[in-house]
Amino acid sequence: MAAHSVPAPGDPGLQPERTALAWSRTALALAVNALLSMRAGFVTGQPLLVAVGALLFAASGAAVAIGTVRRRQLAGHRLVITPPRGALVGVAAATLLASAGGIASIFAEGAA
Amino acid sequence: MRDPKWRDEGEEPDYRFTLANERTFLAWIRTALALLAGGVLLHQFATELDPRLVVTVLSTGLGVVAAVLSVVSYTRWRANEIAIRNGRPLPFSWVLPALAAVCLLTSAVLVVLLLVA
Repeated sequence: MAAHSVPAPGDPGLQPERTALAWSRTALALAVNALLSMRAGFVTGQPLLVAVGALLFAASGAAVAIGTVRRRQLAGHRLVITPPRGALVGVAAATLLASAGGIASIFAEGAA
Repeated sequence: MRDPKWRDEGEEPDYRFTLANERTFLAWIRTALALLAGGVLLHQFATELDPRLVVTVLSTGLGVVAAVLSVVSYTRWRANEIAIRNGRPLPFSWVLPALAAVCLLTSAVLVVLLLVA
């Protein structure tokens, strides 16, 4: 099934713009957590946490990319409504990974 | 990767509703990431706070809540999308009151810790 798209109606609520911006903000939140994870990893000497941080940076970059794609998809004369395939699952999985890393960082420091 | 089956259910919704649902999902994800950052920061920087065990439990709790929220945000997005497609009312969820309770509890514990310190 192709992604669903509709003619751009000139929405006064600027829904397409808000949606693209929401992706960028999420990328920023991911980057903050990536920094925290890397810092915890370097301070406690845990390569696992540094790796989680690097993965989160990659996820943050991916979210920036999705934001750019979304901005294009929602800017022309036709709006592509369906979010990019796997994007939402990916972001949720990255957040789950970040949570696991965060919890690990708490106990890593406790042991050090 | 094939499209999930529910994508064929009902009718393609009004684009505003489905974009709003996507933004809501992202807002929940950001909430989870903010709670997680709060928990990690609390543990890393509030080193003067005693008893240490309470701080650790609090930080771990925030991390666990973030993990739960990341899963819930996706299942909720999916449930909302299906409800919109079939013209059904949006499902009620305990996430909102539960999140408020977690925030209230966290702030209460932190206030007590800070007052005792």
